[in-house]
Amino acid sequence: MTDTEPGAGMNKNSSVAPIPSANGTATAVAEPVAVRIRDLNFFFGQGDLRKQVLYDINLDLPYGQIVIMTGPSGSGKTTLLTLIGALRTVREGSLSVLDQEIVGLGRSQLVDVRRNIGFIFQAHNLFDSLTASKNVEMAIELTEDWQEKRERAVEMLTQLGLSDRVDYKPKSLSGGQKQRVAIARALVNQPPLLLADEPTAALDKKSGRDVVTLMQKLAKEEGRTILMVTHDNRILDVADRIITMVDGRLETDENLAQFVSSHDPKSLDRRMFVM
Amino acid sequence: MRSPLRTPLAWFNLTYERRRLLTAIAGVAFAVLLMFMFRGFENALYDSQVQLLKLLNGEVVIVNRIKTTMFVPEQFARQRLYQAQAFDGVEDAYALYTTTANWKNPETKQVRPLRVLAFNPAKPVLPLPGIMENRAALELPWTALVDEKSRAEVGPTEAGIESELAEQQITLVGTYSLGTDFASANGNLVMSDQNFLRYFSNLGPELDSRSLRTVDIGLLRLAPGTDVDRLVAALQRRLPNDVLVLSKDDFVQKELDYWRNNTNIGFVFSLLTTMSFVVGIILVYQILYTDVADHWAEYATLKAMGYTNLYLLWVVIQQALLLGVMGFVPGYLIALGLYQMTANATGLLMQMTLFRGINILLATIVMCLISGAIAVRRVQATDPAEVFG
Repeated sequence: MTDTEPGAGMNKNSSVAPIPSANGTATAVAEPVAVRIRDLNFFFGQGDLRKQVLYDINLDLPYGQIVIMTGPSGSGKTTLLTLIGALRTVREGSLSVLDQEIVGLGRSQLVDVRRNIGFIFQAHNLFDSLTASKNVEMAIELTEDWQEKRERAVEMLTQLGLSDRVDYKPKSLSGGQKQRVAIARALVNQPPLLLADEPTAALDKKSGRDVVTLMQKLAKEEGRTILMVTHDNRILDVADRIITMVDGRLETDENLAQFVSSHDPKSLDRRMFVM
Repeated sequence: MRSPLRTPLAWFNLTYERRRLLTAIAGVAFAVLLMFMFRGFENALYDSQVQLLKLLNGEVVIVNRIKTTMFVPEQFARQRLYQAQAFDGVEDAYALYTTTANWKNPETKQVRPLRVLAFNPAKPVLPLPGIMENRAALELPWTALVDEKSRAEVGPTEAGIESELAEQQITLVGTYSLGTDFASANGNLVMSDQNFLRYFSNLGPELDSRSLRTVDIGLLRLAPGTDVDRLVAALQRRLPNDVLVLSKDDFVQKELDYWRNNTNIGFVFSLLTTMSFVVGIILVYQILYTDVADHWAEYATLKAMGYTNLYLLWVVIQQALLLGVMGFVPGYLIALGLYQMTANATGLLMQMTLFRGINILLATIVMCLISGAIAVRRVQATDPAEVFG
């Protein structure tokens, strides 16, 4: 996949029609999208050390779409992900997340934006001292729902097949189970947007497959937008759309079929990626 | 109703690793213990100096003007007490005679200086239980009472012991409980003024013989409702200038001030206490910092999820406070035991007052808060964006 052809063309909006949000969050904009990026530039460092890492990014992520972002390391994927996640302050261009323009927002306002975004990391980042349920409840507490947090956490864990592990601490869980708890934590507040960074990297083949199948199900059933950074070829098939970043620029933006044909000089069957 | 339902993350994080928690508690407890001991010693040294003065029975004290501290062996004329007795509001005047005399330990035959306190046993000059009970026995010639809290070098302290005081025979007829101070390093004997004369009025040519004409400390008992300050002022104005008239509280304060201002006790122990405090800060900081550093990814994840910096600061501060309280309790209990042991070994007045307890508790909390405040900077600096990649 390192062999991206420069002329592959920018297919700005994929053919998948936007699915309206289940929560009906976006109504003000004519065509509601979870993320709208226009002419975004981003720099690291200051003064002489200032280095541009993202160049002129334009991207729309409609509701209900699973988008996989791929590209060589150092291409700015993760930076873009953190910008969409309102984890960094942005100064140039326009970045609208869940109908909130976040360019120019202060840190505390960014915190509010983040509460509507689910994050899944390569590492599970669960508190060892808290049980699975308590880890999930920590997320529910952000919504100030004190009465039903336990029930909601158990329900979410049950959906992820962890009903018998609710009161286990991370140390007694397998890698896949831990990642599923982390996913439960990210999903329990039903965020319209889910950002995932290599969610399957630490998992074996079957656990990884289970995790993405689950995410796919949620996107389709509940209209969530999922943006996933991954190098894991085994899970590309769940994507509605695959975007490639190279050297801080959006190189290609294709659906799965296009991606397969453009990335496979021998024109192998797309099932290779499905497994 | 919010807080009891919030997941107590600070508590879970702190208690998750038992071994680390125990180490942490031991560290805090040690700092607390050090602070207690140094404060205890400091105050024992001060309190011990004035414990006798506090027990003396009288609202007004008269001493020789140049007797700036109990160490100074200066007396004043007993007439001054009679003169003072003529003032309105003065009900009675007591004379207390003190001197230092050599006591022979009846078992080892070693000689040690003891302080002798003498007064008319018919009057409640030093109304301690052991003294009031044995007043009749004190009237007998060549007798005295001994302090049970005298240092071990004095020998057995019980009624019936026969030994020598100032190279003359003496019989102990009872005991009381007082304690030692710097001016009576080994202990105190109590005897009647008549026996004081028997022992110290004929000491030989080289030494200052004593009589009852000069008094070391004069005590005035006042009628109820007398304005002490006004009487003290009147006495000071009307009595000759060779005496100093003070209310008892001022007298005690004057003695304390002498020790505070003329010795390095305060400085040394304040420095030691401060050092314990700083050691405590470093210990707690180390513990909190390790926790934050070990869990930075989790804390960053919480930030990414939408938890504010303020919440994370609160978690660290909570951990600091919990550590403070959990370390204070064992530190306090061990200090209690060590106070008891020190008091038994030295006769110094090691008091665990409520004030001191609260004082050190507050110091412990401040100590932990400072550590927390330094450690939270690590949490604040945690960039949630770093968790990615």
